[in-house]
Amino acid sequence: MPARLLLAIAFITLCAVGLGFFLSAENTGQFAWLTDSQPQLAAVINPDSSPKTAGSLQTPPPVEPSDGALGFMLASVAQDYAQNIRYPDYSLPLTEAQAKGYQGNRFDPISLPLPGDGSFTVTLEKFRFVEGEQVLVVASVMGRQVVSQRMTASLVNAATADKLESEELTRSADGFFQGQLTADGSPGEYRLIVEARIDGDSVRHVSTLTIEPDLGDFEGLGDSDIRNNDLVIPVHFDARTSGFYALSAQLLADGRPIALLSAEKRLDGSASTIDLRAHGSVLAGKDVDGKLQIRHLQIRRLPAQPGDRTDYGFGPDEGYSFTPPDLESLTDTPASDPESEQRAALLQRLADKF
Amino acid sequence: MKTKTGSAWKAAVAAAAIAGGLFAGSASAQLAGHNVILVHGFQQQDLADPPANLQEVKSAGADYWQTFWLSRSDARIDFGSDGRVEGNIAQQAYQQLQTISQQGLCNDYCIVVSHSTGDLVTRYLLENQARWLQNNGLQPLKILASIDFSGAGGGTELADLALSVAYNDSWYNWPLKQAVRAFTGINPQPGNLGVVNDLQTNVARNLAVSPNNIPRLRFVAGGSSFGGITKPFISGTDDGVVPTHSACGATTSQGIDSCSSSLSLAGKVSGQDGPSALYFNHYPVLMNEGASHSGVLGSETGNISVPVVNNRTLNGLQVDFASRTYNKRAWWQWWGSGDRYVEVPGSDQTDMSTLVYNTLNN
Repeated sequence: MPARLLLAIAFITLCAVGLGFFLSAENTGQFAWLTDSQPQLAAVINPDSSPKTAGSLQTPPPVEPSDGALGFMLASVAQDYAQNIRYPDYSLPLTEAQAKGYQGNRFDPISLPLPGDGSFTVTLEKFRFVEGEQVLVVASVMGRQVVSQRMTASLVNAATADKLESEELTRSADGFFQGQLTADGSPGEYRLIVEARIDGDSVRHVSTLTIEPDLGDFEGLGDSDIRNNDLVIPVHFDARTSGFYALSAQLLADGRPIALLSAEKRLDGSASTIDLRAHGSVLAGKDVDGKLQIRHLQIRRLPAQPGDRTDYGFGPDEGYSFTPPDLESLTDTPASDPESEQRAALLQRLADKF
Repeated sequence: MKTKTGSAWKAAVAAAAIAGGLFAGSASAQLAGHNVILVHGFQQQDLADPPANLQEVKSAGADYWQTFWLSRSDARIDFGSDGRVEGNIAQQAYQQLQTISQQGLCNDYCIVVSHSTGDLVTRYLLENQARWLQNNGLQPLKILASIDFSGAGGGTELADLALSVAYNDSWYNWPLKQAVRAFTGINPQPGNLGVVNDLQTNVARNLAVSPNNIPRLRFVAGGSSFGGITKPFISGTDDGVVPTHSACGATTSQGIDSCSSSLSLAGKVSGQDGPSALYFNHYPVLMNEGASHSGVLGSETGNISVPVVNNRTLNGLQVDFASRTYNKRAWWQWWGSGDRYVEVPGSDQTDMSTLVYNTLNN
């Protein structure tokens, strides 16, 4: 009996201590070895501060708004901006994550919530399709909903509401519905309507894609060379119609993104080459061994007048590889753009007030 | 985005707006010594009752900014929300850009202040204005920076959903339908969504995303709008209309919790789902968990702003500005020092717009 009593007392004591620990503010809900970095981080933020008592944590005395923190942030922006403009806007360095965001022509899956925790999701390979291209549609329904075995996908012109095409999606073994449509319509915006019967109701998932005109043909790269402090990469593009064009592409080495390159030029039939330039600031000191790659080529015919549409064209998925000339002469010298420098100086002047 | 209760006031405001031409400011309208151009957000009323002409667009534009910025601006770029960015909106905006150029208002660099959809419109205009104006023999506008409140340049999931609701006549997901109605102010139909079409996440993120040299200073809200009914349908955190991924300037529409991977919208120092990358020259400056989508324009106080301090600054012991760090315990935590927070001291005594304006003009 005394042993049982002792056990009971020990149990109650342990429960009380455990509850106390659970209710402690220090209990982050994780084991200490997982949260070791948190106190350090806190110390880094305010190394001079010591843990405050509960009393000192009550409503702070009213103070006039201080501009210090915002001023610090503006100074920080000025500093970062001054650092950024050392790269010319035609040759910007890319991190892996930025490269993903700047690939262009991305279509992120669109999910339609369904009652409960269900969702009806449609995915496309890309957002813009050139006339005549195949549009691969993948749809899925997650959740406890009862879904029919059939789904249909239709392309409808957003401006005229004319249906371009309709196809049945087939269900694969893993539960996804797939099918192909053809982007065989006049350039413009289209609705992709995927229709399913869910819990006995007809539900339409609607998203947007565009059909682009055939702007012309990419015909490869010319010989790259070094001019001033730039690696110049000529891109041959045979435009169907004249206009003001903007070309962008990513420069990679061994599959690793180096820079986002861009250029603008009027193409009028007599000129069919646009020079992309990689500035020394993104290439100097880089360990470039062998070939470089140009990928995610995107050309845009810019709107001549307000209200005109921007038309898009795309290079081959595999891009182009080329052997650059000797890059030794390139230097990590900041670019010079008077307007950006003036902007940086003005931002710095703002920041200097704090 | 801002909602309105009716259009009867338009006539009254129109006279003042048009009499002042395109220029809304007073003698002291500058921000840090630079002229200010305002670019407003989505106006629900334009979908239900499309403006008949530019005069109505201008008067609605004036009303949009009345709470704070109208008297502190030198010009506005107004547009009807019943149009599309690459359509009527570009045309209406260009008329106003021409006037601003002719007046030389930006010869010494202007500062753009945008809200919500104005972020997307500004981005599109920055990409095209120089070429259009030069083609007409006019001087391009020189822009120092853009201050973007609740920027919708990355779109909002509410617009994605609005499109599906527009094509579903009788749909059983009632809460979703109500959220979309609250956001658009109408019963969506395929042909009446106007600029909401441009706010679809994939559409917005495929429009004029090429980098440029104009710094975009981002101010992010995280409060509730429409009684909170829209929040469940937006990825990650949001201000009731615009997701944080858009307001921060993240390069993808993946839902995130904060602009910083080490500070929450409320300023709590803790690991956060932050953006994996930001668009070039996009700089998140302040976050405010309590401010609503429209409240950032000057109508709300009592919410704490948080400086978007990055990891580099945190880890480099550089947080030596006059921010306030403090510890706070949750109600269920009985003792201990609690979680650590960073905030702009006294920011709850004012609103985000006033805070920015006073700081830049001090």
